Amino acid sequence: MQSANVLLKKIVRSSILPFAVQNGMKKDLFPLSRTLSLSLCLKQDNSSSPSEKLDLDAWKKVMKSGLQEEVSETVSDRKELSDMAAARELLEMWRLAGRSVPEHVSEEQLKTLTECPSKSAKKKYLKYLYLKELYKKNDKRKMDEKRQRRLETEEQASETDETKKHSFIYLLASSMDRAYNWRVAQSMTFGQPLVFDMSFEKDMSVREVADTVRQLVLSEGFNRRSVDPFHIHFCNFQDDSLYHKEFIKHYKEAWGKLLITVTDQCYTDVFPRDKLVYLTADSPKVLKTFDHNKVYIVGSMVDKSIKTGVSLAHAKRLGLETAALPLEKYLLWNSGAKNLTLDQMMHILLTLKDTGSWKKALEFVPKRKHCGFVSTPVHELKITLNLINMLKRGQRQEEVQKQFAKSYSKKLTRK
Amino acid sequence: VQPPEKPLQAEEWNRLREGFKSPEMFEEVMFNSMVRCNSPIDVAKSLLTHVAKSNGDIAYNLLVKYLALCVQQGQASEICDVYDIMKIRFRNLESGAYNLLIKGLSNSDHWRMALALLEEEKKIMIPSRTSYESCIKAASRHQEINRAFELYHEMLAKDLVPTLDVLQAFFDFSRGMKGAELQKELFDILLYLRENQIYPHKTFMQSIKLWFESIPGGNWRGHLTNIKDSGHCPVCHHQLEESDLTNEEYNNLREKIIRDVIHGTDTFRKTSPQEFEAFQTFVEDRLPFDIVIDGLNVSHIKLKKMQCENLFNAVNCLAKENARLLVLGRKHMLTNSSNWKREIMKEMQNKADFFFAENTSEDDAFLLYATLQSGKHCKFVTRDFLRDHKACLSDSRMRHLFRKWQRGHQIEISAGEKHINFLSKKKLFVFIQQPAFQYDCVVQTTGDTWHIPYKDIFEEKDSYEVPRKWLCIQQKR
Repeated sequence: MQSANVLLKKIVRSSILPFAVQNGMKKDLFPLSRTLSLSLCLKQDNSSSPSEKLDLDAWKKVMKSGLQEEVSETVSDRKELSDMAAARELLEMWRLAGRSVPEHVSEEQLKTLTECPSKSAKKKYLKYLYLKELYKKNDKRKMDEKRQRRLETEEQASETDETKKHSFIYLLASSMDRAYNWRVAQSMTFGQPLVFDMSFEKDMSVREVADTVRQLVLSEGFNRRSVDPFHIHFCNFQDDSLYHKEFIKHYKEAWGKLLITVTDQCYTDVFPRDKLVYLTADSPKVLKTFDHNKVYIVGSMVDKSIKTGVSLAHAKRLGLETAALPLEKYLLWNSGAKNLTLDQMMHILLTLKDTGSWKKALEFVPKRKHCGFVSTPVHELKITLNLINMLKRGQRQEEVQKQFAKSYSKKLTRK
Repeated sequence: VQPPEKPLQAEEWNRLREGFKSPEMFEEVMFNSMVRCNSPIDVAKSLLTHVAKSNGDIAYNLLVKYLALCVQQGQASEICDVYDIMKIRFRNLESGAYNLLIKGLSNSDHWRMALALLEEEKKIMIPSRTSYESCIKAASRHQEINRAFELYHEMLAKDLVPTLDVLQAFFDFSRGMKGAELQKELFDILLYLRENQIYPHKTFMQSIKLWFESIPGGNWRGHLTNIKDSGHCPVCHHQLEESDLTNEEYNNLREKIIRDVIHGTDTFRKTSPQEFEAFQTFVEDRLPFDIVIDGLNVSHIKLKKMQCENLFNAVNCLAKENARLLVLGRKHMLTNSSNWKREIMKEMQNKADFFFAENTSEDDAFLLYATLQSGKHCKFVTRDFLRDHKACLSDSRMRHLFRKWQRGHQIEISAGEKHINFLSKKKLFVFIQQPAFQYDCVVQTTGDTWHIPYKDIFEEKDSYEVPRKWLCIQQKR
């Protein structure tokens, strides 16, 4: 049977193989022939003696049969591979080994891969591409399902076929846009400025810059749709910078028509210094209330590796006032860094501007980072905690009682 | 899934596969659990046969998993077979397969093939350090010590860090062997330990000791000992190397600290240029200091005490014999508060020089600068391990120098309690002062002696801790 199998393959190969191998058709071609012959072989095995001892090395024969000659050709022709070809080879082998690598890779991505300095960097980059591909695929599948469902409902609707009367005009997306744009245009003349400091490009990796721009695009969108938008300024913005390139990728031709102010000037040249407040998580000062006359500055920076004090350094250099959000005061912080994404900052600032309520504004802090809002001010909590600890130790009982009485009377008088 | 105990027929595999919740993953999951349970190899073979017969092909990852099982059980001939098959089927192999092949073959009679595989792997990528380790061990086990050293040097040239196992293997396999060249190679390994401040563990130390004692005609004798605080070896009466840096190293370190730690990418991140300049002139005017104290760090020694009281105690404790002290702090210490009493601060300022940095500045950077500027005799007090500052230094050589300097110059202080009187419950507050090391804790030699610090256990000690146990080796003429 085996020899027949080999023979069959040889015949097939001699006729089409030169083309088939080059075109990568062998995958489609051979399994067919093999299963064909193997099924025969299996049948024979079963019929002869079912209790016969299992041939444990049969798999080796299968694996060794065929393919020998053509591979020896390919082995001889790989001598010196170009970087790109080597990277492609690596990718191929990793895929075979079952690692997380993407199915399709563009030339540009392959080039980035060859530029990765280490093996772990390569692994990380490929995993990133793999996940990206996976998400895209899932999204596409969901979209298709949705379309399918819509078509079905439409069919049903057309069957029943009834004309509806609407009392309101159907608002098209474009007319909504017009309304939003009107508001933002108003904010350009009368609105409170909000500055994004675009001078962190050298502190970030390419991916961090891309993330920053994505967050800025989101922020701009939220601002546009809010009731009372900020007048957004991108300060220290250099043309032909990485930021610029990424923005164009996102907005395409809409970039020139955005209702924001983009300038290469520093915010200190645009606004009076005493009005500027630099918002940074590293600031020792905590923001108490939102001031409608101040110009708040947010650093356009994503720092995955938590570079402490980079934006604070900018404020220190220019001698500006700084402030941090009162996260500790209102939230029982759980884990994660205190720096928030730019779109979260935008949400928080917009809410503060509209309502002035910290509780509402800090709803936009991700829930995983905190265990909830603090109902009583933190310092009071700390006092009770200290009292409990002291009672536990059983030390200085008099003192404890005294303090207890003091705080108790305070509460009474307050009422 | 529990792998079966005996090889199965095709139908039986089919049945198992159908019973599994995601049949397309069945083989992979089954192989994984076979590796985990160390199943008999025949069971794996029967599954492979089943896969081969039903698909006409076996995927690469399944072959690798089978290979892992073979390596685990030391099935050398099977490993060779798998390699042959892989070579036929695939243009290249990836590092996972190479690692397994090399590991499996190096322990068998086919060890030469492992060396050949290493050569093959080199053509497409840098082999892993464990692959090198397997090959080096295999070569030295079969008395090809030169080949082993060749591979070792190659590995160092590729910036791979050898495992302690490899280094130990060299000592184990060279035991009793003659040759000046070999001796030099092994001395070089010891110097490699010295350069990189690596401490061997106990069994490694034993290997070193046995090797030394086995050198024909070498007359080396090794003893385990503890070195005294003065740096005096009780066995051979040698004085260990001082922990001081050379002048060149010292100046180099000082420059790098200023460049990388204080200024870094942006001077404003840790201080400001004006403040740093002010500090520089402040220090220049009062040089040299004997001890520089991190005021805020010391003030937190005892939590129940007021912060300025802690600092006051520490300053009093250190202000003996007219030592010139510098205390670094932040401006907020000057505002009268519950923790910082103005009178006590005033009194302290009579005993020591004080510099108060901005509240947003980092005082540690100033601490390093002031100590280094004062000269080699100057020590500093903080309980901080200064790891973040070490991390700011750009190259590993500087980091080693920094650690060495830190060992020799950092005084650690901690609070202790002592009952003055058995009856009264009053406690006296005392300082336990951990002095800086007088001697340098690295592998060292004088030609006819070697001193090698070692760790008791294999586990890595915390990087700030240095071993107290030593191997002293001396040559009797």
